Amino acid sequence: MLLQENGGRDDSPEAVTSGRFSDTSSRHFLLSSQNSDGGWGYHPAAPSSVEATAWASLALLARAADPSPAEACVRARVWLLGAQMPDGGWPAFPGQRQGCWATSLAALALHREGAAADAVVRGRDWLLAAWPADRHLGWRLRRLLARGTVVRQDNSLHGWSWTPGTASWVEPTAYALLFLRSLPAELLPPRAAQRVQLGERMLYDRMCPGGGWNSGNPQVYGVAGMPRVGPTAWALLALLPHSQRAENQMSLDWLARACPGIRGAASLALARRCLRAYGRPIGPLVPNFGDLYLRNRFFESVLTFAWVALAGSGEGNRAGQTGRDKATS
Amino acid sequence: MSLAKSTLEPSFARPPSAVAIVRAASYELDLGTLIFNSLREFDLHLWGKKVVLKPNFVEPDPDGVINTHPAVIAAARESFLRLGAASVQVAEGPGHERDTEAIVETLRLREHLGPLPGLFVDLNLDEVHRVPLATRASRLKELYLPQTVLEADFLVSLPKLKTHHWVGATLSLKNMFGIVPGCCYGWPKNILHWAGITRSILDINSTVRPDFAIVDGIVGMEGNGPIQGTAKASGVLILGPDPVAVDSTAARVMGLVPERIDYLAKAGTLLGHLQPDKIRQLGESIASVRTPFAVLPAFQKLLASA
Repeated sequence: MLLQENGGRDDSPEAVTSGRFSDTSSRHFLLSSQNSDGGWGYHPAAPSSVEATAWASLALLARAADPSPAEACVRARVWLLGAQMPDGGWPAFPGQRQGCWATSLAALALHREGAAADAVVRGRDWLLAAWPADRHLGWRLRRLLARGTVVRQDNSLHGWSWTPGTASWVEPTAYALLFLRSLPAELLPPRAAQRVQLGERMLYDRMCPGGGWNSGNPQVYGVAGMPRVGPTAWALLALLPHSQRAENQMSLDWLARACPGIRGAASLALARRCLRAYGRPIGPLVPNFGDLYLRNRFFESVLTFAWVALAGSGEGNRAGQTGRDKATS
Repeated sequence: MSLAKSTLEPSFARPPSAVAIVRAASYELDLGTLIFNSLREFDLHLWGKKVVLKPNFVEPDPDGVINTHPAVIAAARESFLRLGAASVQVAEGPGHERDTEAIVETLRLREHLGPLPGLFVDLNLDEVHRVPLATRASRLKELYLPQTVLEADFLVSLPKLKTHHWVGATLSLKNMFGIVPGCCYGWPKNILHWAGITRSILDINSTVRPDFAIVDGIVGMEGNGPIQGTAKASGVLILGPDPVAVDSTAARVMGLVPERIDYLAKAGTLLGHLQPDKIRQLGESIASVRTPFAVLPAFQKLLASA
């Protein structure tokens, strides 16, 4: 009984399905599952990871005016600063030898927390210097010769990779765009604007033919890729400044149609967050978070609880909304 | 631990491997009895052991063609418990989809296994440890791998019988890509593609060697697998302790020549047996269950009829 253990809350089926399960419950879970070192693992008591710590921080920052979240976020900031590598990147876990996609999330969390400007700038610089391996001419030529007719995509467009030395993919590109857009203009050198534009073009190129995104294969062997909820939500959030483009609207339509069939709380949270960011009406969620919690208790996943908290608060869209404000100002 | 239990010995120095082919026309049958009876033909010592079943989950699939069927997973779990295993967990790290809950719920895994927390482990988000690779087929040299797999006493690869649009066929060896954690390498685990799919398959399987393989071929996938192909009813389960022998038998059932599948040909030199004269066939014969699979034009050369 997760929520009972964490403070005597009532997580009986009646309470959960009656709507008392909320983003507040998720934040309570996050507060109680923070490790003593200040970070979060992917599950309670698991070793702290950069990604889990970043998302838990972002979820709690939405309520940072309350004393408990504020203190937790300070401890998380200290942990994230300790995990940053000398080159400015963040690995998935401390002790690993290379920075990775988690850099965008750690830098975003620290920027939102607001007290580690130097670390944020070093993270930004790492991201701007991190080009995917598909940028290399030799690879593009090999790709053209070997699979020129297999995968339909423009290999001159580059975003960000999950790990160094690999190709551009939708989600790490979306994370990088969300972070870079969250920065004020004075922290964005001209090369940042170029990278953002290239990343946006790459995302549009990788959109599935009928709208929506998967991990980044829009068409293989002439067959249209099947979009999925998570990558679609991330790509749409990253492309929020272009909300009126036909591709965005078509993908939003796909996401709205997909909602009733969603079976995972993480996907449901991301879909809800995305639709809210675009001002789309969100009907009664079927299933709702309470139903899903009763099924598997979210597998005690810190990421899922964090995304549910962000979806519930609406605060999680701030990075994207900042970008839209910039685009329209 | 499944990790490096023994030194690798070349396949030519190994005794023949047994592979069982079991007819199973549908998922509605008593698969628990079928699998249990077949497992008893192997000299398995499972008493008190921690067994981990590693199915193949890729993405949510309401049609039930992409992922290992939950009825097979449940039957395997029941069988290993009956054989004395202390625990049997189900663990997988899907390669494309971060929301593993969405996959297992679409799959109706909970309805077949009961409550999943504690029983099912998302390997993408498991605790990880750095592991030097036992071979240097790729340039990877090391991988972070999930604790649940490293702590298993007996690891079972439970793939679906499918074609694969990059390597021809995906079976128990390719299925081991799923133990590489997304939390370190992303979704997809693109580092394995850049290091070479064939080479990565060899390095992973030389380092974390599955103790047993059970291929779900009751309904497989032909054509543009492993995601966008079409259902192919083959009506078989193929199982054995040598994953190379199991995979080569499965390939022959599909009408493919395993020696022409690059990673299987290479695995046949070090990780197990590929040649029919080194495989002791139990149950049905290959000829009696052969169900030729359609393949993409790029893989026509793999067909026995080519």
